[in-house]
Amino acid sequence: MNNQLTWEHPPKWLLWIVLPLVVGLLIASSVIPQPIVGVIHLNDAIYAQTASDLIKQINYAMDHPEVRAVVLSFDSPGGTVVDTEAVYMELERLRVKKPVVTAINGMAASGAYYLSVGTDYIYAKPTSLVGNVGVIGYLPPTPLVFEDIISTGPYKLWGAPRDSDMRQIDMIKQAFYEAVRLGRGERLKAGPETILRGQIWLGTEALRLGLIDEIGTENDAVRKAAQMTHIWHYKTADLYGLAGLQAPVYSFFMQSPEGVTLPYPKESGMYLLYIPPLPVEK
Amino acid sequence: MNRKTLWIALACFILPALARAVWFYPGFSTRPRIATPDYQSLSIPTPPIKAEQADQKITVMGGVVVIDTLHGNQFKPTELDSLVQALNQRGGRVEFDNATPTLETRLKYASTYVIISPSTVYTSDEMRWIKAFVDNGGKLAVFTDATRGQVTFDFFTGSIIGLPDSNIVNPILAPFGIAVEADYLYNIAKNEGNFRNVFFDEFNKDELTFGLKQVAFYGTHSVKSDSGLTLFIGADQTLSSITDAGGGLSAGAVSENGNVLALGDFTFLTPPYNNVADNNTLIANIADFMLGGTRKPALTNFPYVFNGSDVSILPTSEVQVTAEIVGALSRLQASLKTVNVELKVVEEKPDEGDLLVLGTFVPSEDLAQFSDPFNLTIEEDSEYITVPGFGNIGRSGNGLLLFQTGRKGNTIILLADTVDDLTILLDTLSSGNLTGCVLQGNIGMCSIGVGGSFSDGSDTTGTPSSEETPSGEATPTPTGAG
Repeated sequence: MNNQLTWEHPPKWLLWIVLPLVVGLLIASSVIPQPIVGVIHLNDAIYAQTASDLIKQINYAMDHPEVRAVVLSFDSPGGTVVDTEAVYMELERLRVKKPVVTAINGMAASGAYYLSVGTDYIYAKPTSLVGNVGVIGYLPPTPLVFEDIISTGPYKLWGAPRDSDMRQIDMIKQAFYEAVRLGRGERLKAGPETILRGQIWLGTEALRLGLIDEIGTENDAVRKAAQMTHIWHYKTADLYGLAGLQAPVYSFFMQSPEGVTLPYPKESGMYLLYIPPLPVEK
Repeated sequence: MNRKTLWIALACFILPALARAVWFYPGFSTRPRIATPDYQSLSIPTPPIKAEQADQKITVMGGVVVIDTLHGNQFKPTELDSLVQALNQRGGRVEFDNATPTLETRLKYASTYVIISPSTVYTSDEMRWIKAFVDNGGKLAVFTDATRGQVTFDFFTGSIIGLPDSNIVNPILAPFGIAVEADYLYNIAKNEGNFRNVFFDEFNKDELTFGLKQVAFYGTHSVKSDSGLTLFIGADQTLSSITDAGGGLSAGAVSENGNVLALGDFTFLTPPYNNVADNNTLIANIADFMLGGTRKPALTNFPYVFNGSDVSILPTSEVQVTAEIVGALSRLQASLKTVNVELKVVEEKPDEGDLLVLGTFVPSEDLAQFSDPFNLTIEEDSEYITVPGFGNIGRSGNGLLLFQTGRKGNTIILLADTVDDLTILLDTLSSGNLTGCVLQGNIGMCSIGVGGSFSDGSDTTGTPSSEETPSGEATPTPTGAG
């Protein structure tokens, strides 16, 4: 009766198949996780808080191998120069390892477009607002001295001569254009005389100028990202939650005394920012 | 357990991983080389600074440049330092136009009237005075600036209200065939540190563009002139903000008669931009323009009609210097002192200098040398004298002013029927203006009473009213070119 098949006495050959299979399955699921296309949303201006959040999500994508590609989903008018540059540089580190695709929803203007050109592929909707390449700066006042304020140099209080500020802004513009030129490469069909006008274009026109690659949605961007990294049966995940972030409490924009949010930044400085035009009466 | 069993077990162990790998990762991806800007190689654009040319030939011309400050002009006096310095080097003097004396009075002696980026409109009277001033050979320089227009923001309605200075100056410039556009010029491809700071490398031939190879303007309107001459010719890439089109756009123009200059920018005058490219040369040329007028002195400009500060009084043989005449002369002397003109009585016509001739309607040889050029017909037994342009005028109650310009000095001839009438005519001059006289060219006819003995007793003597009295500082009169 030794060969009788019972639960208590399974055949040895079965043991040698099932057990490795089960163990193999268990180990494989942890060693070879289901790939993730991480999605990073930016629905605000780019400033210290949002830039920090973006960088944390980028770092999460860098540190987690299951995140095989990243989609940046933008609805942003841009923001401060330095915060945009910070995110751009971190984005380039990520891009060395993993494909990054941009999906422009409402708008990727100025600094947000700066970040977009630092990705592998750009989608926009037909009427998304794209471009606005350029810099805005508020020049400091002409230096003065005050009886009751002692400073140690003519620009200690004012930062820089007005003329020097203007020229620095032009240098920032050069960097922005270089980012566009290098990021878009041969896909860019418009020259600096067009790009540097600072114009903001609809998605369809941006496509014609080579500012974006294709008309599409965030889902298209996710599929493209997966395709670029050669993954199947992936899942998408919002990296905001995975990176353990919480909603910012600071408001970048100025508010009127009535509590209406205006399209102007609260603080003076240098910005890669699109400020929607207000009606002008002449 | 044999070797075969071990292989099966190993395969079973690996199979899930293989299946999972194929299921999720069917291929391999390689990353392309990522190109990013080389931030360290970027540089701040620097302006083409030129030191002021020390060997520049400067001609001392003199003259008064009146700068408008009564129309919400958007500038600070210190911003004019470079221009004021250039004017001073040429013997010119700058006056800032405030409420007194009136613009009309200032334009009587000004070489140039300067308008800088105004924000309030000019009255029809002011525009008429300016037009007459220019027609009479005065210079008008209008500086607008695309960065100085008034903009107000209404937080409640969220609207921006813009009032470009071009709207204010265009009615003044229109009679001279010049228009300033409510735009700004820009050049993305080649600029002076910013797209709105445009270079001009091509110039139409004019004294204002003499010696220029390149000028830089900082936020300039475009300026057009159909009848006049545009001074600077913009590159094809220099575009107007209104049309985004370019090709030959200009930032400055002079009128056909050469007396009106309109520029779309003011910032190029201000430091540090006055030192960029040939901007200093342009400023020097503008100073030459402002002081180099060919304005002819005219009776309408009285008392600013003399070349020098000394005027000789010459009574002709028919005029007895009575106590009344002496009194009237002393009042005239006091009046003219306020414009830095001194009177002295002479017996003979001097070889040179300004002259005030006193005569009556009685023909005489010594009067003829002065009155003949005016073709007056004076007959002893007639109650009328014939004056070209006026016809026959009664001897009694009328006085004549004849004005003659000359290379060696200007002359005013006062003629009346009697010495008493002459006294009243002198008092008319003492009042500081000739608003009570009919002026036609170089001849003025003044009513000085009825029948030679009338006087209404009103005080026409003494110094000009405070409104008509210029400030106490030296006030050179315009240089006669005739």
